[in-house]
Amino acid sequence: MTETIGKTKLTFTVNGRETEVLVDPSWTLLRVLRESLGLTGTKRGCEEGDCGLCTVIMEDRAVDSCLVMALQAQGKTVETIEGMGHEHALHPLQKAFIEEGAVQCGFCTPGMIMSSEALLRQNTHPTVEEIKVGLSGNLCRCTGYTKIFKAVAKGSESGGRL
Amino acid sequence: MQSFQFYSPNYLEDALKYIADRKQTCRTLAGGTDLIPMLKKEEIRPDYLLNINEVGELKGVEDLDNQVRIGATTTFTEMIESETLNRFFPLLVNAAASVGGPQIRNRGTIGGNVITNGPCADVLPGIVALDGQLELQSKQDGRRLVSVADVLVTAYETSIRSDELLTGILIQKPVQGTKSGFEKLGRRNAMAKARLNLSIALRQDPNGTISAVSIVPGAVMPVAVRMNDVESMLLGRKPTPVLIQAAADKLVEVVVNTAGIRWSSEYKVPVLKNIFKRVMWRVLAEDPQ
Repeated sequence: MTETIGKTKLTFTVNGRETEVLVDPSWTLLRVLRESLGLTGTKRGCEEGDCGLCTVIMEDRAVDSCLVMALQAQGKTVETIEGMGHEHALHPLQKAFIEEGAVQCGFCTPGMIMSSEALLRQNTHPTVEEIKVGLSGNLCRCTGYTKIFKAVAKGSESGGRL
Repeated sequence: MQSFQFYSPNYLEDALKYIADRKQTCRTLAGGTDLIPMLKKEEIRPDYLLNINEVGELKGVEDLDNQVRIGATTTFTEMIESETLNRFFPLLVNAAASVGGPQIRNRGTIGGNVITNGPCADVLPGIVALDGQLELQSKQDGRRLVSVADVLVTAYETSIRSDELLTGILIQKPVQGTKSGFEKLGRRNAMAKARLNLSIALRQDPNGTISAVSIVPGAVMPVAVRMNDVESMLLGRKPTPVLIQAAADKLVEVVVNTAGIRWSSEYKVPVLKNIFKRVMWRVLAEDPQ
């Protein structure tokens, strides 16, 4: 790759679709997802990797999209909450979060679900302790986590995938 | 964030040429977990950003004859999953597992932990405890090896030149019988920066005498450094509760003398003592590798 000056083309796969977008080198992946691609399910929180609101899956791993420069995603595969399921065909984790009442204000939920999905890809039947470690990079300020852990356990019974 | 030019080479040669031509105006981006927040706050304003994550030569753990090479951009997650590291350096695996949450471990790198040289680094004290060497490369001088302890100047500062790239960490495989332990205390359960951590590696003779020992506390000193005075107290002696207590007292004495009494000392002094005793006894009770 040659050095890029000013806006440059980022080509990557977002939720299974090859995507091209012009980005400034100073933009983060979070900014591109939200502002260039309109994928606002990924939330913007602390902007320094503490809260996990902006969690997406990149190359099968959970990452804070606020701590990835957009151009670092060049050629990579990125998955956001929009790729997990939709209103009429919920992802098992989304279904489990709703059924368990693991959503209060809902702001942390997309990040929680992306971290849970990344966990379940590595470990299809996690223990509660493993779920806690898997979600330790995500803060929730409403529910107290218990219902979230339950929801992940429930989602894992189906392998966490559709 | 002030904009910059972004370069993401696939080959080390290209990366070295890039920094050789730009030096201080260029910053190297690895995992970004420390650097990106600094860029956002404009604490640093580089003209050029060199992304080294796509350079294959910097990636992964290699089992060499009598040593192990950990590529600079090996992530904490990759360290945890490395069979070689689990076999030879469980201390580093435990330290890597204690870093942040999964998202941080999936991005943060061992090289970044060294270069940032934060007092709260989790893996760096382990590298110091194992007498790790840094493999530095530059266009001008090629490859050189330096002891990690020699480049840690003070918090957030190393003596690595601006035209040099940290390409790997080399650690001698442990002598048979080496045992090690790591413990970290953070402010938030599985997450958060270390308020205190401790890395210990040691060997005992068949009769129990401590024949080698390396002790490095983290987050209580300006930089990770071996506690020579404590180590020499323990060397050549058999561990007894009296000896370990005396070593714990010496450890906090050295820490307080070096770092000074700070607001957190009242908390950290007794905690450091207790963690030291706990880790020592746990390591001593372990079967050797």
